[in-house]
Amino acid sequence: MKNTWSLRNIILLTLISIICGIIFFATGFLYNAVSLALTPYGLAPLANDLLLGLWIMAAPLAGFIFKRPGAPFLAEVIGAIVEMFLGGQWGVETVVTGIEQGIATELGFVATKYKHFDWLGLIATTISTTVITFIYDWFKNGYNAYAIHLLIIMFIVRFISIFIFGGVLSKLIANMLEKSHVIK
Amino acid sequence: MNPVLKLLMMLVIALEISFTTSVRLNLVIFIVSLIYLIFFASFKRIIYLLFVTLIPAIGIYFAQKINGNYQYGILLVTRLYAFVTLGGTYTCRTSIEDLAGSLEQNFRVPSKFAYGVMGAFNLIETIKQEIIDIKLAAKMRNVHLSYVSPTLYFKSILAAMNWSTLLAQGMNSHLFVEGSSRTHFKKITIKTTDYLILIVVLIAIQIILIF
Repeated sequence: MKNTWSLRNIILLTLISIICGIIFFATGFLYNAVSLALTPYGLAPLANDLLLGLWIMAAPLAGFIFKRPGAPFLAEVIGAIVEMFLGGQWGVETVVTGIEQGIATELGFVATKYKHFDWLGLIATTISTTVITFIYDWFKNGYNAYAIHLLIIMFIVRFISIFIFGGVLSKLIANMLEKSHVIK
Repeated sequence: MNPVLKLLMMLVIALEISFTTSVRLNLVIFIVSLIYLIFFASFKRIIYLLFVTLIPAIGIYFAQKINGNYQYGILLVTRLYAFVTLGGTYTCRTSIEDLAGSLEQNFRVPSKFAYGVMGAFNLIETIKQEIIDIKLAAKMRNVHLSYVSPTLYFKSILAAMNWSTLLAQGMNSHLFVEGSSRTHFKKITIKTTDYLILIVVLIAIQIILIF
């Protein structure tokens, strides 16, 4: 792959975001179901942390596939814009979240200077994404009002979710692509 | 209004209500957006937005009531509805073509990004079908692919790689040249009134916030 963004790679990047978006359209229903199930215990926001890894997956996946600066951010932002036009319920807010999550994942790769697209990079993006999205939710979703034990549970659940879906799952997919020699 | 300026305005508003705690501002945004939606969006869409949001709204309200702050729950619910209705107003009158066109013509985004994203956007129905096909093909071999199976993504990405090459070749053969200047059938401009609306709305929001 060349160093600049070619038309083909831009289309591919968008398609990857869309694929993640379509597969996770099901998680929208899953989210509502989990959220409803947790409501009587007052734990509904936990659904967000539990499934967050699925929503941010496009970014690390694009990072592992393209291995170049900007790919995670672009994948997440383009994915958010496409989702907005598909008629997602969150509208413009999707784009704000997309920008925030894109930056979060990008920072993980920046920390490894775009040299580690292995387990180290995976852990770096997991940490950066967990911390930054948690700070954003601290303000936006009112996490600052919750009891401390709930916050700790939410943080750990979020970390595990991002590690499993955003990290391990996207790394497995990238490994399969590498084994079949379609990416380097 | 110009699609990019409109998006910018909404992003600023969304950011602002994310970080401030004014129930009144949320309610004003909700009511103004709802009136806008009643005029311009379909009835079905409005009902969908209002009812689907009930689930997270109730969830957040009870979570705050049980594990947090009751007052805060009300704020979060109004914020949620402000987000949803505000977001709905953008897509009901603006298409992705308008946004991409404006980004390219007014904001110097390279045309390959504008048209590449738009081209991929039009493949959505094909991708949906492909994912169904991959799942069906796996089922015939008694393999169930769920949304956490790497194989499902692997196969769809392989298909996407194929399509992106084909689409890029197709666009090139229709004389789409990266980096060359293009002429436009539909000209998108930024009017002075667009800037005026942007400034007036943003100032109005600050005033509601302060007083």
